[in-house]
Amino acid sequence: MGWSQQDNTSYKRRVLEASEVDLLFSYYNQDGNHAAVTGGEGTEDLTDATSSIVLRMPLNEDDVLTVDVGLSAYTSASSSNVNPLDGGLNVTPFDASSGESRKDILAYVKPTYQHSSEDRNTIWSANAYVSSEYDYFSIGFGGNYTRLFNEKNTELSLGGTVFLDKWNAIYPIELRPGFFDDRITGNGAYMPNFTEFDKENRNSYSLSLSFSQILGKRVQGALFVDLVSQNGLLSTPFQRVYFGDTEDFFIDDFQLADDVEHLPDSRLKVPFGGRLNYYVNDFLVLRSYYRLYWDDWGITSHTANLELPFKLTDKFTLYPAYRYYTQTAADYFYPKEAALSTSEFYTSDYDLSKYDAHQYGLGVQYKDIFTSAKVLNFGLKTIDLRFSQYDRSDGLNAFILTLGTTFVGN
Amino acid sequence: MAKPILFVLILICSSSCVVVREYDKAYINDAEMQLSARPCERFETNFHIYREASSGANGGKTGGGCGCN
Repeated sequence: MGWSQQDNTSYKRRVLEASEVDLLFSYYNQDGNHAAVTGGEGTEDLTDATSSIVLRMPLNEDDVLTVDVGLSAYTSASSSNVNPLDGGLNVTPFDASSGESRKDILAYVKPTYQHSSEDRNTIWSANAYVSSEYDYFSIGFGGNYTRLFNEKNTELSLGGTVFLDKWNAIYPIELRPGFFDDRITGNGAYMPNFTEFDKENRNSYSLSLSFSQILGKRVQGALFVDLVSQNGLLSTPFQRVYFGDTEDFFIDDFQLADDVEHLPDSRLKVPFGGRLNYYVNDFLVLRSYYRLYWDDWGITSHTANLELPFKLTDKFTLYPAYRYYTQTAADYFYPKEAALSTSEFYTSDYDLSKYDAHQYGLGVQYKDIFTSAKVLNFGLKTIDLRFSQYDRSDGLNAFILTLGTTFVGN
Repeated sequence: MAKPILFVLILICSSSCVVVREYDKAYINDAEMQLSARPCERFETNFHIYREASSGANGGKTGGGCGCN
């Protein structure tokens, strides 16, 4: 016999063979004329640049530690109009102010620890999350349990997440104590019926269930359902509302707030989604996604997404994508001056209005499984460049450019 | 609502009659076949969470962690 019998010492494949680093960057720009900060009428011009680093480290054969850190910096014309009076020019909701509220930075860190069983049929993970903005602080934690069955053809996953968030409430300048300006015009005296929110906490609890199934050699699908409960301050404190049954007051062309939005202090959300992927041939894969969403604020939405990755060569993939989204309005949404001061809840945030949206995207991926290009001690595995244009029926337009790279440690 | 239920039934029925062995998973294991969003899609998911009233059921955040919905 030329072959010796294999002994009991078998090689155990690691869950993650080597450390990996994702470097991600995005540039986002939007514009529209329905800013919530100025009561549903005003510029929505906003620019955001975000960068993230995701580091995945194998701790041993079974355990992986992932650390996700990021920084997001934005400048926003609408949030600059929390105080439109610090610009020094003619005051109007359609121009940005130059004050401090026009920009902000969000920083976050999210570590995740994942353990896989010996047979790789059970995976559990635990994660934490901390983020900070000028007017918002968030701390969260969660866990996930996954079980694979049926020769790894079936996967069932259960997860839970808790976010304990805190506002540092910022109100429109004219509603702050001691506000006075001798340029105010209107009938009578400007005395809005406004009181500050007494609670600034926002808690979110979510339970997630997912089920995935291989349906054939070329097709697999998954179903997802979340149950999300939120309570606390769900209104955004600096978003103005103008009533239809009160006098109007102005400084130049800028209308002073009658109040800020008031939304219920609880919300139940139930999104239900599904993915279906089909390997057509070595040249084309079909990736599809659909989501039905319902919440107890009166919003129902549908999301459909289709992506067609074309494998041009072994290294290059081109993936055009189209996404359609439609939603009904929240029960508490009113256009400018349509709400009444006697109502309990009201907002003029067009993100909660009825609209539909189309998104067209195109991405290109470069992949080198041999990681032949090196940076320090890491080999380049993939580069993803993606552009998407987003057009909403209420006039909001946006685009986002994303660059993602993955490096593998040697 | 009928379509998601039909989809569930198709999945359950299919799972009882198809078992794809490890050596037959060359297509299923293709990177493009992953049943999750691409890593670089996370930023798009973030702006959807900000700009749209709905979120969740896609691996992204379902609420909390930012001043959005």
